[in-house]
Amino acid sequence: MLPSLMNMLSWWQWLILAAVPPAIIALYFLKLKRRPLEVPSTYLWHKSIEDLHVNTIWQRLRRNLLLFLQLLLVLLVMLAVLRPGMKGAKLLGNRFIFLIDNSASMQSTDLEGSRLENAKRSAREAIELMQPGDVAMVVSFSDIPKVEQMFTENKRALLHSVDEIKPTSRSTSLSEALKVASGLANPGRSASDATDVQVAEAKPATLYIFSDGKFPEPSIALGNLEPVYMPIGTDDATNVGIAVFNVRRNESRPEQLQAFARLENHSKAEAAVAVDLLLDDAMIDSARFQIGPGEAQGFERDLGELETGKLQLVITQADFFTAEGVAMKDQLPADNQAWTVARKGRPANVLLITSGCEPLQFALSTGLATKLANVTIETPDVLQDEKNEYYEREAVGAYDLILYDRCRPKRMPQANTFFIGAMPVTAIELAAEKEGEEPRRIEIWQAGERAAGPRIIDIDSSHPLTQWIAMDNVLIAEAAPIKVPAGGSVLVESQAGPMLVIAPREGFEDLVLAFPFNEEKAGDDGIKRVTAVTNWHGRSSFPVFMLNLLQYFGGGRGGLDALSARPGGQVALQGPEPEKPLDIHTPSGDRESVPVDRLGRGKYGNTEELGIYEVQAGGKPIDYFSVNLFDQGESDIGVRQEIQLGHVPVKGRTSNWEPARREWWKYILLAGFLLLLFEWWVYHRRVYV
Amino acid sequence: MATNSNGELLSPDLLAKLERMELVSRKIFRGRMKGERRSRRKGQSVEFADFRNYVPGDDLRFIDWNTYARLDRLFLKMFMEEEDLHFYALIDSSPSMDFGEPTKFRYARQLAAALGFIGLVRGDRVKVLSMGESASNPAPALRGRHQLWRMLEYLQGLEPNEQFTLADAAKSFCVRNSGKGILVLISDLMDKTGYEQALRYLLAQDFDIYLIHLLSVEEFEPEVQGDLQLVDCEDGDVAEVTVTAPLLRRYKQTLSAFIEQARDFCNRRGILYFPARNDVPVDRLISGYLRQRGLVR
Repeated sequence: MLPSLMNMLSWWQWLILAAVPPAIIALYFLKLKRRPLEVPSTYLWHKSIEDLHVNTIWQRLRRNLLLFLQLLLVLLVMLAVLRPGMKGAKLLGNRFIFLIDNSASMQSTDLEGSRLENAKRSAREAIELMQPGDVAMVVSFSDIPKVEQMFTENKRALLHSVDEIKPTSRSTSLSEALKVASGLANPGRSASDATDVQVAEAKPATLYIFSDGKFPEPSIALGNLEPVYMPIGTDDATNVGIAVFNVRRNESRPEQLQAFARLENHSKAEAAVAVDLLLDDAMIDSARFQIGPGEAQGFERDLGELETGKLQLVITQADFFTAEGVAMKDQLPADNQAWTVARKGRPANVLLITSGCEPLQFALSTGLATKLANVTIETPDVLQDEKNEYYEREAVGAYDLILYDRCRPKRMPQANTFFIGAMPVTAIELAAEKEGEEPRRIEIWQAGERAAGPRIIDIDSSHPLTQWIAMDNVLIAEAAPIKVPAGGSVLVESQAGPMLVIAPREGFEDLVLAFPFNEEKAGDDGIKRVTAVTNWHGRSSFPVFMLNLLQYFGGGRGGLDALSARPGGQVALQGPEPEKPLDIHTPSGDRESVPVDRLGRGKYGNTEELGIYEVQAGGKPIDYFSVNLFDQGESDIGVRQEIQLGHVPVKGRTSNWEPARREWWKYILLAGFLLLLFEWWVYHRRVYV
Repeated sequence: MATNSNGELLSPDLLAKLERMELVSRKIFRGRMKGERRSRRKGQSVEFADFRNYVPGDDLRFIDWNTYARLDRLFLKMFMEEEDLHFYALIDSSPSMDFGEPTKFRYARQLAAALGFIGLVRGDRVKVLSMGESASNPAPALRGRHQLWRMLEYLQGLEPNEQFTLADAAKSFCVRNSGKGILVLISDLMDKTGYEQALRYLLAQDFDIYLIHLLSVEEFEPEVQGDLQLVDCEDGDVAEVTVTAPLLRRYKQTLSAFIEQARDFCNRRGILYFPARNDVPVDRLISGYLRQRGLVR
């Protein structure tokens, strides 16, 4: 403080300043212009002030509070004029956005407390450094951003919102948070073809990111945002995490199950790891591994002919030994446990309605197909009358998949469908134009003109139904290309048009093949003969496709282990009865009710907690799902010192804040003002007794 | 107030009230003339008081012959003697009395007139005079209610403009007046040389002394503020004060100490001390306070 004072005034200015207080005292004695007042006698007054006259000057000063107050006031004002300051820190700019990472990796304990605690502490420091008039916003982010506090000047609210941030087990994604942050800094532009108009005033802001940098690089233009990256954490953090844990069929003995896990060492030191495998909370196996730095280790355990059971894998011990021989512990506990539930899959219920199609019937009766599905075969006669048992069964969702070979039902079933050489009966009814007329129906699915010998030119190999199949060698005699309905996608495209199209319908999917496998045609002699339309069923791609079909439409029901969700992810649930709510029992023992729709489907999203969730219907457990971290990005808890934000490299700041001069004069003036008020009060107090 | 504001010192109402009162002396006095007042001195009157043994030289006319006939001893019959009373009202006429609303001087004159009137009605010898009594306008000695107008005329003529010390004034009063009877001194006692000497002079004359210490409201509760130069109206003495709450507290302490001191001085010497304020009406003072304390009845 002193050097800054010395710089401002020369010695003679100091002298003038120093002369002010004595001048005030002198004036105080001179100024007394007393008002003469005649009184009966000064006798009593003299007596009253007699002892005041002893040591007059000092007595006077001692008694004169006002003089002291005035001197003090002048000193304060002088001090304020000198503009005293102190070496302090400041933030860049006057609008701030504090992005605080609360993803799973921020729970690492490589810093005291945890990384999140340190990030919160840094954010609090930054908020304390805000100048009057600065505004700031607090956003916490994991895979989704959460605005904890909108732009405000209120430091207390900001600090409170920072305190409220809780750790999560989610993964990290900065881009969503950046979108939120840039909303105000980079207002939208209404861009028509000709003009590009800014819709609101841009408000540049400084973006403070408190994170360990473990997120995919966001590709977003920062625009008016000035990023400051504050890396939280140490580079030599140690962690062993479970990256995969599931149950699968033993390849050599398919009737038996196997637990499989993969452990990864995300540190620069070799790790000695001990794991326990628990089945229904009882330990059934344990193992020890040495995992080199950056390496992974698999773990397998035969479960025998297990029907169902809750499996838990726990890393009980993880010691890290650096080259110097220093032992360290695992610093991220969140990925040291994983859960799964083994369950026997239910085969899909598949109905084939055909008047006779050998290739289909054969493909659905192979060994693997019967394991995946219970196939029932009916003739098209069942479709004739709506009173038939078929309609009753499909209405309650008894089938997972219905194949219609060259036939159409009267109404679409509550199931996934595969139409072969026929079109689904979905239609939009339009009101009749004239009275008395039938309402107009517009078929959603329409076939185009029949084309002879269409050649297949493209297959959507990214779709599960058509993956791993090649149809170059497939010949088609004749087909009517499908007009793709809204929302549909083409899986197989031919020269003449789409041959295989899939489209959603009220939670189900309809798959349509433009040609049948064979046809009954009357020959020249009038006798009907079955003739093949295509040679697809003779190619290797056909059984693969049929297997894909069973797995795709029946697959959700046929898994060997329960669904594993990411923390915070949504889980689709299927209840046994429509519109009867399901109960979810969370790992910590809470119960939550999930409503289901008329098809018994519900969605559950409150999956922050790691562990096994039990789904109950009517008090009976019907399903399980587990929530596991399983995220390499979060398990790898090293800290990135430089991050890329929309192609802009942002270096981590090592020194905390900008050095700045902290002004005090405002506070001194404020004190002076309060003093003035006090003086005023004292003055009035002495007058009105 | 018992008077109307145009200068009448005594209102008819007050006069009517006063007529029923009389002055009380705690001492036995002998007046020059036989009056209406019963003296404790036994003597010649119609009212029997006591007997006593005859000693040679006693007036034979007062021997009770009936007792002599019955007891064969000579007894003298004693009668209550009726006397007149000397009443003096001494008014402080220094300029310091010319303060307040009504002024302390006017209040003092009203008080003196009222007490004097009681005396006149009872046939006492009344003398109302100012302290700085000048030779040119000597105070008359009055007797009888028909003399009321003279007393009032004299009082109306008094002005609070005389410079004297209390001691000198008391001394000159004692020289001119014999020391018998009731003396009511009405003063604010504001004398820088002190009031004690004056009272001592008066005590030496064996007066039955009543001191009415008259102070104005302004002296009890000074309504002054700020930085002031207080000028004494008597001697032009200047006191520079900055009026603050502590100073006002101190002034009040001094004032009450001053009053206590005067009361104490009087009590020790058998002077009856009455503190009075100029905001208390005269009739209330006389009919209430002075009556209670025994100056009148």
